[in-house]
Amino acid sequence: MMTAAIEASGLGKAYRRAWALRDCTLVIPEGHVVGLVGPNGAGKTTLLRLATGMLAPTCGAITVLGQRPAAGLAQLARVGYVAQDTPAYARMRVADHLRLGAWLNPGWDDGLAQRRIAQVGLDPKQRAGSLSGGQRAQLALTLALAKRPELLLLDEPVAGLDPLARREFLRGLMEAVAEHGTSVVLSSHLVTDLERVCDYLIVLVASRVRIAGEVSELLASHHRLAGPRRAPGTLPAGQDVIEQSHTDKQSTLLVRTDEPIHDPAWTVTPVSTEELVLAYMNPANDIPARRPQLGVAS
Amino acid sequence: MIRLTWLQFRAQAVTAAAALAAFAVLLAATGPHLASLYAADGLDSCHGGSSCLSPASYFTGSLSQSPYGVLFLLSTGVILLAPAVIGLFWGAPLIARELETGTAALAWNQSITRTRWLAIKLTVIGLTAIAVTEALCLMQTWWAAPISQAVADGSGAGVAQSRFSQLNFATHGITPLGYAAFAFALGVTAGALIRRTIPAMAITLAIFTALQVAMPLWVRPHLAPPDHTVRPLTSLGGAGPSQTGPGGDIFTLYALNIPGQPGAWVLSSGAVNAAGQPVSTTPAACTSVGGTGVSAGAQGRAFPPGQGPGAFVDCLASHGIREAITYQPASRYWRFQLTETAIYLALALALAGYCFRRLSRLS
Repeated sequence: MMTAAIEASGLGKAYRRAWALRDCTLVIPEGHVVGLVGPNGAGKTTLLRLATGMLAPTCGAITVLGQRPAAGLAQLARVGYVAQDTPAYARMRVADHLRLGAWLNPGWDDGLAQRRIAQVGLDPKQRAGSLSGGQRAQLALTLALAKRPELLLLDEPVAGLDPLARREFLRGLMEAVAEHGTSVVLSSHLVTDLERVCDYLIVLVASRVRIAGEVSELLASHHRLAGPRRAPGTLPAGQDVIEQSHTDKQSTLLVRTDEPIHDPAWTVTPVSTEELVLAYMNPANDIPARRPQLGVAS
Repeated sequence: MIRLTWLQFRAQAVTAAAALAAFAVLLAATGPHLASLYAADGLDSCHGGSSCLSPASYFTGSLSQSPYGVLFLLSTGVILLAPAVIGLFWGAPLIARELETGTAALAWNQSITRTRWLAIKLTVIGLTAIAVTEALCLMQTWWAAPISQAVADGSGAGVAQSRFSQLNFATHGITPLGYAAFAFALGVTAGALIRRTIPAMAITLAIFTALQVAMPLWVRPHLAPPDHTVRPLTSLGGAGPSQTGPGGDIFTLYALNIPGQPGAWVLSSGAVNAAGQPVSTTPAACTSVGGTGVSAGAQGRAFPPGQGPGAFVDCLASHGIREAITYQPASRYWRFQLTETAIYLALALALAGYCFRRLSRLS
């Protein structure tokens, strides 16, 4: 079996009063561009910061690429991280940031860094403090990519960007990932962005994994059924209702199943990634536990 | 990482270098003239001993009226303030600003451990802090050498005080480097704990100031067990060793220096009776020496014409009253310097150690 990019069991992080992440158990596989999606406060940022070793867990365990986070130089070199708000040293020039990367990372790919800086149109002499949000994000991504990590963690990297900058950023990310085969875990609450770049999705709500799986499999196993009003309990075994809405005459269900839907009473339509994510994010929906091979926490 | 530290520290280093240069120019421009004044007062040809006493007193006394007195205080102030400024502007932001601006996430996700990151930052900037402060101190020591020599030759007056005086002890020798190391480590620690630069600066300033006040008042006198001496009262004539402040039935006695112990640090002094017990009540026979409450302030006692304080002191002496003095001999100066510096360096190291522990669990 492949090592997981991130594996957490019973992971928790408490601040003085509240739990930022509590009893989180999940496996994020390697070799994917994983979208970690969830409402604000679900614990996405905390999970990623635990994975970088910036935070130490209060309880539970987490391994990243099979090792303890930030366990040493080798482990630090294997993981790249772009933090929320893509920080950079305001008074340092773009070129200085690249020097920083070169000085501190033995695996630094200066060609890649210079190429990317030129590609996204950053002036090496400009101070990071005067960059736009999109430019700063590109700088932070360049630093993380040129380190040539095996796993790249990005925490809401595009949240503050305008749609154009967002697209530029994600395109740059996808190109680099395609070129180097880096595993990526990208947190976001912007579902449309995830849809564009991710091939694996994890929906995290209140520290719990609501659903996890490859996007293509998730889309293939979820259907929207519309038909005459009907109690969900009367569905055949193997069809789990994720979301339901009823009018006097009609029922609309979002159903998860591996079997084809044969009942002619239903009009079956495919679901979009966004519908799927929203259905799983909605705390009102009671998700039936099933299929542990997808890493669904019970 | 050393290169990165310099890159990020460049602006502060340039500021410090400019300040050092300005200080050096100011002192170099005025130092020779101060030395020539010293020579003109005949101090370089008096060969020590009592022949120096009078010119030395003149020289130190005249400092108060000359710009050199101001310059002395000013340069002393710079050395006193330097560690605090370093703690505030180099120490406090070191970790706090990284956390505040989020750049910690950038710095600590390169292929370098946080421990190493901190070790290099602390070493490079800490050693610079020590070097800058000690350089200020050495420059001023050179500049003020005539003043120090005049104090050693004669007696202190005005701004010219003994090496043990609070201002001089804290700005000469090696204590400034201890203060600098400590203030820097204190700033870093406050920043790591509070995680915001401005409050960390405020806390650093408060703690450092409190310690700099507490140290000479309550700690330094006890760094070595003091010596005691009991000696007969002598009349106060001119620059006599003691002063009395008779007031009603109570009198007080202060020793300023001790004959045969030039440069000693007088910690406390007071009158004792023949049995060695402290006294402060004027013997009845002496109350008539000089009237009571005639003038000279509410608590004061005026002496009749022709009966200076000398008569009063003579009267006290004739009743067996002597003067007990607790002091640190001048020969302990470097022992005190070393001990105090060691204390500050130890505190700095302890704080740095705490920062390492804190950083490994931080953010």
